[in-house]
Amino acid sequence: MTTVLLVDDEKLIQRSLEKTLLRAGYDVLTAPDCKTGSEVFSQNASAVDIAVLDLNMPGFDGMPKNDAGLDLLADLKQRRADLPVVILTAYDEVNKAKDAVSKGANAFFVKGREQGLVELIQKILSA
Amino acid sequence: MINNIERHAKLLKASARAAKNITTILDPYELFQRTVDIICEEFGFYYAGVFLVDDATQYAVLKAGRGEAGRAMLREGHKLAIGGNSMIGASIANKKGRIALDVGEEAVFFENPHLPKTRSEMALPLIVADEAIGALTVQSTEEAAFREEDIDALQTMADQLAIAIQNSKLHRQEERRSRLLKAANRVGKEVSSLLDLDQLLPQTVNIICEAYGLYYAGVFLLDEQGEFAVLRAGYGKAGKAMLAEGHKLRIGTDSMIGACIAMGEARIALDVGEERVHFKNPHLPHTRSEMALPLIYGGRTLGAVTIQSSEERAFSEDDITTLLTMAEHLAVAINNAHLIEELKEAHNEILRNKVFEALTTASTEAIHWIGNKTLPISLTVARLREEIADGKVDLDSLKEDLDMISESAVQIIQVKEQLIGAVREMKPRPVLFADVLRTAAMQRGIPQNVLQVEIAPSAAYIIADSTQLTRAIGNLLQNAIEAGAKSVKVRVHPTEQRGMLEIDIEDDGVGISDDTQRKVWSPFFTTRGVSHHGLGLPATMHVVSQSQGHVALVSEEGKGTTVAMFMPRGRVDVEQAQPGSVKSILLIDDNDDWANLLGEMLKGTKVKLTQSTDLKKFPEADLILVDENIASASLTEVLGALSKAGLAPKTIILTSAINPERVTQYLREGLRDVTVKPYSTGELNELLK
Repeated sequence: MTTVLLVDDEKLIQRSLEKTLLRAGYDVLTAPDCKTGSEVFSQNASAVDIAVLDLNMPGFDGMPKNDAGLDLLADLKQRRADLPVVILTAYDEVNKAKDAVSKGANAFFVKGREQGLVELIQKILSA
Repeated sequence: MINNIERHAKLLKASARAAKNITTILDPYELFQRTVDIICEEFGFYYAGVFLVDDATQYAVLKAGRGEAGRAMLREGHKLAIGGNSMIGASIANKKGRIALDVGEEAVFFENPHLPKTRSEMALPLIVADEAIGALTVQSTEEAAFREEDIDALQTMADQLAIAIQNSKLHRQEERRSRLLKAANRVGKEVSSLLDLDQLLPQTVNIICEAYGLYYAGVFLLDEQGEFAVLRAGYGKAGKAMLAEGHKLRIGTDSMIGACIAMGEARIALDVGEERVHFKNPHLPHTRSEMALPLIYGGRTLGAVTIQSSEERAFSEDDITTLLTMAEHLAVAINNAHLIEELKEAHNEILRNKVFEALTTASTEAIHWIGNKTLPISLTVARLREEIADGKVDLDSLKEDLDMISESAVQIIQVKEQLIGAVREMKPRPVLFADVLRTAAMQRGIPQNVLQVEIAPSAAYIIADSTQLTRAIGNLLQNAIEAGAKSVKVRVHPTEQRGMLEIDIEDDGVGISDDTQRKVWSPFFTTRGVSHHGLGLPATMHVVSQSQGHVALVSEEGKGTTVAMFMPRGRVDVEQAQPGSVKSILLIDDNDDWANLLGEMLKGTKVKLTQSTDLKKFPEADLILVDENIASASLTEVLGALSKAGLAPKTIILTSAINPERVTQYLREGLRDVTVKPYSTGELNELLK
């Protein structure tokens, strides 16, 4: 079973995405911030196949931070360089996308087009 | 012989008397006229006249003459060439007195048609410091009236006259210099206090013209391209007309102003004759002298001042010196005004950028926030559609999805509540701040022991909408607690601005970074995560603005934050209430500021006021007033007990922050009314009607 680590601080978005992924047949581990996300990954390092991280959420100190998702991306990549990561954001910003990719993200996904998220995850994992 | 001695003595006495009278006169025109009159009266001469040498030392110009003959010659501008054939001209040229007697061959001298009876004439030079400044003519109808020895006797008087003329001139110069210095000083003072060119420049031309008695003054400033000197202020009607025409002069040699600016030097035209070309402005037909002074600051020519007189050769050295000094002051002031204008423009630019930045931030935050709140709705709906299409609808999952949709919708609706509140009072009124603070703290669950409250007696009432103010204060208290404050100091005191109070809410929380401080007033901006809307401070600002107040925030990371609200002070005179038919009131409330106020207002009336929170036994009362926010009892229990005792129809709930949902709820429970707390006797009388 493919396991997705989903980190997002918006409770309803997190749950909604979780349900969409579950319905698509994935196992989903969730966390609301960088610190918890990092801990959940540590506890399930071998099981996690792909991480989907919100861009703006509480950072490692628990305080809301812009681009905190990129901090968690760096943290996860340091521990597992080949881990596929998708960055989620509410902003359709090209520069942010380029920044994310330069830091090792496999994809930059703008919220609101979630129906494509499942296909994107499948595409990344089958690559 | 004796007759000659007597005659000479008489002349000397008369001369001394005339000299004594002359030397006390300082006004030049009075001096000249009195001189000729005194001479004729003392000596019994037919005519006397005073001539002064002109500036070019070419002519002796008549300044005063005795009688109608004198007046006629003055009208004609009578003047005689120095060194010419005339007695006066020769006397000045030789610095010696002369006598002409109508005896034989010298009769030629007496051909003046205004003085047909002259038979003898004496011309006496007026000498000061060995320089002839003019001459005195005395004439007699007697033939051979003067003798050579008479010259000495009258020359003494002429010398006194010359000194008096010199004194008068010096006095006049001194007086003028003093007036000019005062004017220059006044311009200096005015220009240093005025920074608005539209006030400064007209003021300057007025001072110049009034102090110097000038015909016209105007100030030109260089245009941005440096091509034209544009008139910015002009004296009188001429100035007004030229300003209306947009009068400007090309920089260069075509005009005095243009040349003065081009060369950065003062230009002076004093003579009408050969330089008449300078005085061709149809608005200024009487100009006979003009001075153009450059306005230079830091090596840069900013413009020029034109100063014009209707007199020829009007400007003395003193005029030029003081006007140049004044032009220097004016240049400094114009430069300062320019700098202020540039600063204002720069400030406006910064402000525009800040407003744009704030609007952009606010819109972005709003879009982000709304996007996040609506996303679960669209997501869940899409998933449900798929599940329905697949025929795999799980009821528990469906219930959860509906809850998610509902919660998202509620959060969006809450934004309106957060930003503008549920209800507004019709108009702001004097509000007892202590009561509002207490309610706000209770509504937000802020323990009273966290608050340290200090309200100046003269700052007890604030003009506000109590519901909105409760919400604003609640937002600030909640922010303080969420910032980790252990103590929140609330101080209310009058400010230096008449009629305004300052409400300081100071916490010892984590503080706010400089970067964040710039964004805190933007709606939807929050540092507290997704559970916050980021509308607390913007809503507070909105509330304070509605009361014509303003709000400021000061914070230091690690030390805490102070929010200062500046709001109008309310005035309430606590008078004895008029309770109508109400004879007894039961007040269910804590022993707080408002309860005390109610007690004060009912003091001396026939109303028996009982205050209690004992729910087991309610004393008999015509009216029961319940504070919606009581610390010592649960409102639900209070209302339950009152209903049970059948007292709901006598009960009115009072609150500082009214809410339509709660009003509906209370009324449905059978209560008589729910209303905002009265903070004045008038409002209480209204309630007790």
